[in-house]
Amino acid sequence: MSNQNLENFSFKKYAWNQFKKDKIALICLYLLFLLIGIAVLAPVIANERPLYAEYKGYTLYPAFSSESRTDSIFKENGSLDEVLQYDITDWRTLDFKKVVWPLIPYSPEGMDRYNRDYVSPSGKQRFKNKDGEITEAPKKFRHLLGTDGIGRDLASGLIHGTRISLMVGLVSMGIASLIGIILGALAGFFGDNKLKMPRIKYHFTLIGLFFGFFYGFGQRKYAISDGFSEGVVSGMVELLISTGIIILSVTIFRLISRLIKINKLQEETYVPIDTFVSRGIELLNSIPRLLLIITITAVVERSIWIVMIIIGITGWTGIARFTRAELLRIRSLEFVQAAQSLGFSSARTIFKHALPNALAPVFVSIAFGIASAILIESGLSFLGIGVPDDIVTWGSLLNLGRQNLEAWWLIIYPGMAIFLTITIYNMIAEASRDALDPRLKS
Amino acid sequence: MLRYTIQRVLTFIPMLIAISLLSFVISINAPGDPVERLAKSAESEGSAQEQSGASKKIKAELRKKLGLDLPIFYLSIADLSTSDTLYKIQDKYHKATLEHLTHKSGNWQLVSDYYNELLNLQSIHLKLNSKEIHSSQDELDLNTINEAVNQVGFEINSLLETSDDTLINLALNKLDNKINNYSFFNPLLASFGNIKSINNNLFTSSSKWKTYVPKINWYGSKNQYHLWLFGNGKDRKGLLRGDFGISYIDSQPISTKIWQKIGISFSLSLISIFIAYLISIPIGIYSAYKKDSAVDKGFSLILFILYSMPSFFVGTLLLLQFANPDNLAWFPVSGIQDPTVFDPNWSFWAKIKHRMPFLILPIITYTYGSFAFLSRIMRVGMIDIVSQDYIRTARAKGLAEGKVILKHALRNSLLPVITVFAAIFPMAIGGSIIIEVIFSIPGMGVEVYNSILNYDYPMIITVFTLSGFLTMVGYLVADLLYAVVDPRISYK
Repeated sequence: MSNQNLENFSFKKYAWNQFKKDKIALICLYLLFLLIGIAVLAPVIANERPLYAEYKGYTLYPAFSSESRTDSIFKENGSLDEVLQYDITDWRTLDFKKVVWPLIPYSPEGMDRYNRDYVSPSGKQRFKNKDGEITEAPKKFRHLLGTDGIGRDLASGLIHGTRISLMVGLVSMGIASLIGIILGALAGFFGDNKLKMPRIKYHFTLIGLFFGFFYGFGQRKYAISDGFSEGVVSGMVELLISTGIIILSVTIFRLISRLIKINKLQEETYVPIDTFVSRGIELLNSIPRLLLIITITAVVERSIWIVMIIIGITGWTGIARFTRAELLRIRSLEFVQAAQSLGFSSARTIFKHALPNALAPVFVSIAFGIASAILIESGLSFLGIGVPDDIVTWGSLLNLGRQNLEAWWLIIYPGMAIFLTITIYNMIAEASRDALDPRLKS
Repeated sequence: MLRYTIQRVLTFIPMLIAISLLSFVISINAPGDPVERLAKSAESEGSAQEQSGASKKIKAELRKKLGLDLPIFYLSIADLSTSDTLYKIQDKYHKATLEHLTHKSGNWQLVSDYYNELLNLQSIHLKLNSKEIHSSQDELDLNTINEAVNQVGFEINSLLETSDDTLINLALNKLDNKINNYSFFNPLLASFGNIKSINNNLFTSSSKWKTYVPKINWYGSKNQYHLWLFGNGKDRKGLLRGDFGISYIDSQPISTKIWQKIGISFSLSLISIFIAYLISIPIGIYSAYKKDSAVDKGFSLILFILYSMPSFFVGTLLLLQFANPDNLAWFPVSGIQDPTVFDPNWSFWAKIKHRMPFLILPIITYTYGSFAFLSRIMRVGMIDIVSQDYIRTARAKGLAEGKVILKHALRNSLLPVITVFAAIFPMAIGGSIIIEVIFSIPGMGVEVYNSILNYDYPMIITVFTLSGFLTMVGYLVADLLYAVVDPRISYK
């Protein structure tokens, strides 16, 4: 390596260069971007409403409007001609002057009643044209990958399923990383005998936690459940308010503890935070994860969001273990000690100095975690547990195929979609592990 | 070693308490009322349609038998307004209503008056007989009377399960309308008047502050958790003595049901792990020995791809290809035996021979899951060992290559593979739900699956608790095996 290179040497660049050497992994990375693109553009790629339409003198953009929209079409003399209700109009039978259809002119939940009962991709497909006649489907309106028992288009289901599978990976691993990194960092940095606080403060923190949970969750349980029955967003807002109450309560009690000046209670005591976290990890690891998830999903309401949250809450142990191990190593390095001796607060030392240097192996663990989260979600949908029946996911499509083995397209295509996505994540995870930490290379 | 084992076993105790608490909390929060379900299945067996009095008695007995008339835990954290005797309310939905109402008004006395008056109203209403009313008041049509009585009954029931104030007012208005319209509702008037006046005060009472003061109630050992764990010395023996309760589906003891099903799941997982070892160890050795050769790279890639292939996809693909009249109908689609041919008196080998075709596809799917993983571990472990000094020494002293690899290296590279052993135990009890469901194998997996679909919580909770316990045992066994296999590891 030349001198010039050494000066500009950065670990990120080095790791990226290493990663690029693995051609298969690089292809997987591009494929991942492709998947994300498909997921983001899913409503534009596969939709039963046209992207652009000129209809009876009106210019409409149905695919980009909300489903509940209604348009009144007036005749030239001003009298009402017809009312277009976007969700129930059969757009394919309308007589457009000019129209641009999405790539796949079907929605995942839309049931095509002329192609029920597992129509194969190459089989005879029927279509109702604008004159109301039933004909052989024109090329544009063929179900490219076939349909299921109630006439839902498989290709459209697969494309919208991309969205769900990516969301599952993102949301559940987001939750898991948040819990895992914070707990792992605290456990690794402080260990059992680094976090000291006056006894009074320690006990008041615990009391503050108690009151925080009492007012945050005990008293607000109706507010939270009402929030979730309104929708995920308002439920999340209520949860955030509850979290805020807990933090507030702990802060107040810690402030109060400063006012109490009794010598005996001012003695410093150690907080065995590492023991707490390690026991928690051990406990969660000693329960088979799939069984835990299935048990919880059996009790709670069926919702894709709850499934994601449960996968996240049960999946943080690996991340916490890696973070803890890295911080155990890093906390004794010079730059952390320098930060501490400069008088920086523990929070600043951990989150600004120590943690950014510990995230490389954690990143690998998260990438593997995404793959397993997607695997678990599709396994659950395959069994028909947890995810509501009306949501089309890759797993639920595969389940339809299992129940009707003649419909091979319902087995091969969704299965390949799951398999490819998991392979992509695993490949990227393994290549980045090799790139980030060559010692681990196998 | 013995000390270490004892120490480890001791750490089981807090973990098991935590697991049992977790599963208990889950079962408490499970939706639906088990008593209603068990009573329903008991009733359907009965000959005549019992009137509500008899079924109430059955329900009360069941509640007592299941211990649902006890408080949930040793202590409870509530606020000052909540009564510590709320658990005595029998109906699950009524209990939830009362809790919410108390939370809203902060005055338990008023809420309990309101509830008792509602129950009173209900009992008076139940005594009304449309036919008697009809005979005394000829001017009214029997249907009209029936409809009015039924509607009043419906509104009273909905009041008992509603805590939303607008809904309460709506129901009260409807009741007001009906009761004042017909003279035969006169017996209800007094009680209904009380309810209205209590309801007016319910949300305006000034003791809302009470809901902001926490209170800890202590119940002692007479509680559901204690009963579930230790039993009561009479009909319930408790989890610790192997009493897992009864199934909500057919009232059978859970332990009997598990014993019937566990054999097939256990043998399947044992056979498949054995086969997985048999295949993956040679592959691992070979690709480690020929590290970085084309064969190794090919193996690595294939194993990696196999590793990413979900087992439910593989299982379904196998069914599609080999148990499908459209392709190759080599194997039967589901089950483990053909009930029309199978004879329970056959000898062991005859049974095996009969079941073989049923089991081949499941075993392939089962094996497949661990095989890719095992091979990868084996390869990494072997590469690690082959670069060690003692292997170089063995080569240097002129040992044959086969002996070096198979005798010196292999033994030490088996260590990491032991880890997988820990997974056998919990797999047996939980079964592989997905694989058993795909192939309809009547093992634990399908049992768990069915109990989830039918909300049979005692079963789910038992499997959950047991597999937690067995996982810990598995880890311990694996750790002890390490010490046995590798003298360098010692636990002191």
